[in-house]
Amino acid sequence: MTFTIWQALLVGLWAAFCFAGQIWGIYTNRALFIAFGVGIILGDLRTAVIFGATAELAFMGFGVGPGGSTPPNPLGPGIVGTIMAISMDKLSPSAALTLSYPFAIIVPFVITFIFTINSSSMETAKKAIMEGKYRKYKWLSNLTLYGFMIFAFIFGFAATESTSALRAFIKIIPQWLMNGLTVAGGLLPAVGFALILSTMVKKEYIPAIILGYVCVAYLQMPVIGLAFVGAVIAFNNYFNGKKSSKDNDSDQGGNDGGIEDGI
Amino acid sequence: MASKEKVLTKADYRSAILRSYYLQNAQNYGNMQGTGMLNSIWPQLRKIYKGDEDTFKRVATSNLEFYNTNPQPYPFVSTLMLAMYDSGQNEDDVRAVKMALMGPLAGIGDALSQFALAPLFSTIFASLALQGVIYAPLMFIACLIGVTFGVRCLMGYLGWKVGTSIIDTLSDKMQALTDIASMIGLTVIAGLSVSFVKVNLALQYSTTVKGKEQVVAVQTILDKIMPYMLPMLLTYFVYWLITKKKWTIYKIILLLLVLGIGLSAIGLLKP
Repeated sequence: MTFTIWQALLVGLWAAFCFAGQIWGIYTNRALFIAFGVGIILGDLRTAVIFGATAELAFMGFGVGPGGSTPPNPLGPGIVGTIMAISMDKLSPSAALTLSYPFAIIVPFVITFIFTINSSSMETAKKAIMEGKYRKYKWLSNLTLYGFMIFAFIFGFAATESTSALRAFIKIIPQWLMNGLTVAGGLLPAVGFALILSTMVKKEYIPAIILGYVCVAYLQMPVIGLAFVGAVIAFNNYFNGKKSSKDNDSDQGGNDGGIEDGI
Repeated sequence: MASKEKVLTKADYRSAILRSYYLQNAQNYGNMQGTGMLNSIWPQLRKIYKGDEDTFKRVATSNLEFYNTNPQPYPFVSTLMLAMYDSGQNEDDVRAVKMALMGPLAGIGDALSQFALAPLFSTIFASLALQGVIYAPLMFIACLIGVTFGVRCLMGYLGWKVGTSIIDTLSDKMQALTDIASMIGLTVIAGLSVSFVKVNLALQYSTTVKGKEQVVAVQTILDKIMPYMLPMLLTYFVYWLITKKKWTIYKIILLLLVLGIGLSAIGLLKP
């Protein structure tokens, strides 16, 4: 299948809106949500949502980079990966995820670039206000947003327009490598999970981690049930836990060798 | 402390809460959120300093300075500042309050939204989507926007209502809330992480059981001993790379790509 120019334009607009959400803090820039819209536009919602969920879980921990590094961005898989998953019947979600990783890695560079060229924002804004050019200030105060939206629009449009090129490229990948990419796609979510664990873990959370593992591994518990189990242990900790909450203030990521059970 | 007639109405504060979404519209490496911060309180400042253009310009440009906090609890800062400006308090005091709040609010906001709420909803709705609930992404976004908007309104209200004395008790309350959300989140994440990370051994061997040839996959034996053992070990290995070895994410991604393709090529792992 090839997509029409209108579909490409719509994907571009959708990408611009979703990516703007990263600035507004409304979470539209998550892979799950981006893929959903792409799926509607390209007419295969089911495939898109399945892929979006796969990418969401792999990229879940990438909302935050440790030490101010810019992590891979879900715009890459959300747009390119979804297009791949929809336009290639034989492509597994894991393989599509792996193949869209390079695009996830390009995006942070663009973000850094936009932040950098807008670095003189303070001086220009000050000058505009002092001269009474309030309209100009208004424009300046949205500059990064415009940059984000323009980039995302081009990104979404170009990705949709180059579907056949993507397809041709994927077709020449030999079977053994495709298998390897699928295996790698199965390994990669570990990065997202480990990253989120590294930012959240404190000693008192360890029981919750073991419990979560046991519920899924031995009891095959569905996710909502899992959330309830988490609530039980959280409230138990809150009502019956140590009353001294002073000594555990934000030692983020500091697992002091307390986790020796392999989780 | 000079006191003046208050001009801001509740509607102005409500609009300040909504305008908190403009905070990062000019994010840059120079003054981070500074330029957008002024924009988030612009009309209110115009109203407070109506007819005194010079003071307006001075106060406005002073709010362009470096600022960097988490956007979710940010309305606490903006409404508090506006309340102080509106009651004619010293500009330096306002600045001191604003700067003092930057760090704690960033900590609270990050802990709550980035590390607790987002991953929790992420795992729940992504796994629902994988089970075929096609509108899970919409529920996901509705939950996240709803909860974070609630946080913004609450923080904006608190900032308007009170001075800085609340931030201590607020910290405690937020700490408890974050603890609960984090625990639920971690239970879900720990459970799902092992089932979504896929490591399948392709190894198998033949054995004779009761005179019949049988092919036994090593993976099945492992699963009998401890289900999802390999995904768990892999996740912990990456965790160790991040926390102890201080590897960058890109290095880890590259390593896993090489491992995945390499081990699959030599027939150790299978999709």
